[in-house]
Amino acid sequence: MVNGYKPGSLQEALDIRSRTDAIPYAGGTDLMVRNQKGAVYLFLNDIEALKQITDDGDMIRIGAAVTFTRALENDLVPPLMKEALSQIAAPAIRNAGTFGGNLGNASDKADSVLAALALDGRVRLASAGGERTVRIEDFFVKRGETILRDDELIVEVLLPKSRCSLPFYYQKLGGRNALAISRVAFAGVYDVQDGVIRSISVAVIGEGKFTRYREAEAALIGRTAEEVKENAAACADSFIRNMTFTRGRVSAEYRRTVVRNLLTDYLTSLG
Amino acid sequence: MKEISRSIKKKDHDNKIEGRSVYVDDYPLTASGKRILCGKLIHAAYAKARVLSVTLPPLPEGYTYVDRNDVPGDNNVNIVLDDTPVFCRETVEYIGEPIGMLVGPEEAVVDELLAGVKVEYDQIEPMLDLRNGTEAFFDYHFGHGDVDRAFAEADKVYEEEFLTGYQDQTYLEPQGMMAEPEEDGRMFVHGSLQCPYYVHGAVARALGTGPEGVHILQDVTGGGFGGKEDFPSILGCQVAVAAHKTGQPVRCVYNRREDLEFTPKRHPSLCRYKLAVKDGRVTALEADVRFDAGAYSTLSAVVLQRGIIAAPGIYHIPNVRVTGKAIKTNTVPCGAYRGFGAPQTFFAIEMMMNHVAQDLGVDSITFKQQHFAKQGDMTSTQGRYHFPVPIPAMLDEVDALCALRRKHQAYSLPQTGRFRRGIGFSAIFHGAGFTGSGERDIIKATAKLRKYADGTVEVLASNGDIGQGVRTTFPKIVSHELNLPLEKVRYEHPDTARVPDSGPTVASRSLMTVGELLRRAAIRLRDIWQDGVEQEVEEHYKEPDFVIPFYLDRFEGDAYPTYAWSVSAVEVEVDTYTGRVQILGAYGSFDVGTPVDENIVLGQMEGGFLQGLGYASIEKMQYDEKGRIRNNSFTDYLVPTAMDVPKLIARLHVEEYPDGPYGAKGAGELPLVGPPPAYLEAVEMALGGMKRHRLNRIPYSAEDVILELNKEVP
Ligand SMILES: Cc1cc2nc3c(=O)[nH]c(=O)nc-3n(C[C@H](O)[C@H](O)[C@H](O)COP(=O)(O)OP(=O)(O)OC[C@H]3O[C@@H](n4cnc5c(N)ncnc54)[C@H](O)[C@@H]3O)c2cc1C
Repeated sequence: MVNGYKPGSLQEALDIRSRTDAIPYAGGTDLMVRNQKGAVYLFLNDIEALKQITDDGDMIRIGAAVTFTRALENDLVPPLMKEALSQIAAPAIRNAGTFGGNLGNASDKADSVLAALALDGRVRLASAGGERTVRIEDFFVKRGETILRDDELIVEVLLPKSRCSLPFYYQKLGGRNALAISRVAFAGVYDVQDGVIRSISVAVIGEGKFTRYREAEAALIGRTAEEVKENAAACADSFIRNMTFTRGRVSAEYRRTVVRNLLTDYLTSLG
Repeated sequence: MKEISRSIKKKDHDNKIEGRSVYVDDYPLTASGKRILCGKLIHAAYAKARVLSVTLPPLPEGYTYVDRNDVPGDNNVNIVLDDTPVFCRETVEYIGEPIGMLVGPEEAVVDELLAGVKVEYDQIEPMLDLRNGTEAFFDYHFGHGDVDRAFAEADKVYEEEFLTGYQDQTYLEPQGMMAEPEEDGRMFVHGSLQCPYYVHGAVARALGTGPEGVHILQDVTGGGFGGKEDFPSILGCQVAVAAHKTGQPVRCVYNRREDLEFTPKRHPSLCRYKLAVKDGRVTALEADVRFDAGAYSTLSAVVLQRGIIAAPGIYHIPNVRVTGKAIKTNTVPCGAYRGFGAPQTFFAIEMMMNHVAQDLGVDSITFKQQHFAKQGDMTSTQGRYHFPVPIPAMLDEVDALCALRRKHQAYSLPQTGRFRRGIGFSAIFHGAGFTGSGERDIIKATAKLRKYADGTVEVLASNGDIGQGVRTTFPKIVSHELNLPLEKVRYEHPDTARVPDSGPTVASRSLMTVGELLRRAAIRLRDIWQDGVEQEVEEHYKEPDFVIPFYLDRFEGDAYPTYAWSVSAVEVEVDTYTGRVQILGAYGSFDVGTPVDENIVLGQMEGGFLQGLGYASIEKMQYDEKGRIRNNSFTDYLVPTAMDVPKLIARLHVEEYPDGPYGAKGAGELPLVGPPPAYLEAVEMALGGMKRHRLNRIPYSAEDVILELNKEVP
């Protein structure tokens, strides 16, 4: 027997969230694996407000309960995000898995979170008492821990439109071609105009956290793509220096080498 | 193509596809309407320890604890030797060894009780090292020729080590068995299994009843791959003891984690090979083969025998010395997995031949071809290859499929850039049927046909359908000979109360050996056929006259009457930035004799090929310094998915075997054996060949590629 609440509106859901310990449940692809005995769930899949993908002029807004399959079918969703989504697990998981769940699960291997991070994404959280919007890297504290409070829900992911149509670089490495958690993944978005780098982002899975390398990124802005290309190894090093890789299913050395290779390739391919 | 080879719909197709097949875990009640108790095992937490005490939580009414003190007969499971206990003795010998079983009506309650069990241990230092292990369950030596002299006279001597890892069968449903005490006092045991008579012998012995006291039925089994050859005997004894104690039906079904961690897998191996070369030809081989047997001997004897007999591969080497040891370690006992010891040694000899060829500066295809055994040549055990060896023609067929020879040379040249290519190939055999004289001396198979008054015919044999299709192919053979529509011939899941012992479902012997008995029985039935009456015909195995008797003590004679052959090629592209290996194409020519249903055989070839690729690349399972297997879920033990199936072309090359039905030989194991060395040769070639990167172990992952490239001097 599974117990739970099935609110029809976000308000109602936030209300329940503030009163009870019910666990938010979207697609359940993580929660079913956990299979916690006696758990009480707050089912989010009846809340239309969480299932929308909209364009507000500045941001593409993806509701927390939007499934990966729906997002893949939607024209507003940026290509980098689609590239990442298309390599998540397999159709059955993509049909159920959601953006909110990918964030809420607090895994350091969450593929949609990586893409959102590279796109300068934000996440909007709400509680019965109010709401806040934070950067992806600030949402994620460490593996298994986010800043989400007990009375809050993830409402949507916001992706700045100015980033969404920029060229990007993405590569995911799992243990096999499908149903594979990222061992390493790399996402980057860049804006090069007249041969000069206007903006650039780098995000990786493999460090056990989601972070951006603002200083190293900033150091590239204003330089020519050509110059960066010629010094790609040294530029890559300015990022790698700030990275600490975890070991687990694969070694830290593997992760470091692959990220270095991909970074170098990325920096060589700008423009 | 022969008429018999034409593909038909499998007899169990609809039930399987529509989800109507009933597996052992599916029965809500027994057939007679009785409630089934749920049994769960208490698994040892240490790799080696004395069990000082087992303290149970208070057991509610109807809940029972069962252990070795409840075994009415012998607490030793009859497999090859009898060293595996039903429930552990004073010590436990590996993590997961069953100490006892908790049994009761509600699964949730059993789970709760299980969590409350306290076992007190006195830990002992475990032995976890295959390389340095000294206790060998089996230690075989054989050979021929003058090896020492050949090495003394050699131009060059090569020595190398090869390592292979675990591989888990990952069959559809995990291990599960059920026991039901019957009114007449017999114990009825059934479940997911390959060899009903193996379980029969084991359970009768554990219960101390004699063979009449038990009967065993194979339930629908969604794949065995060898994993359900020995283990159901152990689990069958455990549920039978529990059912005996409680007087009620008891079922125990492993969950996937238990199954991955605590049930038999392919033996990890360490092979040390030494080759002598004179005038460009291999003149001698010395092979030292070590298999990690785990804590009990289970099937290691027979797995090791098949492995070491294949030590020289398909090559004619005049002087051979082979040592084979099954080393005891305090880890889960290893057992059978498709290929049965041969994948390990074929991997070693194939890689060794590649490396020697490279050092000699010859293309390995040419080099291997110069050493292929031919019809009439002596086998490793001084038997004969009695029939044509079709390997050269099969090599040409594979060459035609993928330009093997051209690419093999082209990709051997130095490559630069991110993506680099390689192509590898292997040529192997599968000794058809049981090893040695087992078929004649031990199994002595009997198969029967019973014709009913209504003109339908039932096949009575003990070979289980485990996906390989014997429920279809046995009736197909019989209906073909009797000229009956297929619907009139049936083959039910075997129950030892009804069927004779036609031997186990192993070694790709069912179709070749038992299928031939059925063919002969059908011909006899045809001759005596009388309408409207019940008739029965029985056939017994007889060793073909040409076979040179095999002596296991000396490993001398024909280890197999004939061989199935395969040539495999694998083409890869390695991403040197990420280590990812993309398989561009996989090609195989397979000689299993006449296919008694082409689709079934091609399905076996493709499935086995894929398992071989998984074994070579992503299927990684290891134990840690405590002896615990960590890869106990499908998140951590990766097998190929549908998306990992490469372009795969399997072709059949038919070299008929006169003593198999319509010329059929064994088809089950063959396809898995060849791909691993072909895959690794391809990867090695892409990395620049053995001069830069000499690879000698599987599984070989993307991480391995990157770490290997990191070793490169810039
Ligand atoms: C076989 C398999 C393969 C997988 N492969 C991948 C992969 O390749 N890449 C990848 O990134 N992930 C993968 N996953 C993980 C999982 O599918 C994703 O994390 C998915 O996004 C989870 O979404 P969900 O809606 O199913 O989450 P759920 O299981 O419903 O929830 C997950 C967590 O998020 C919380 N939560 C959900 N929605 C909200 C909300 N709106 N507000 C607050 N908290 C919320 C839940 O309480 C729970 O803690 C895989 C999972 C499986 C089972």
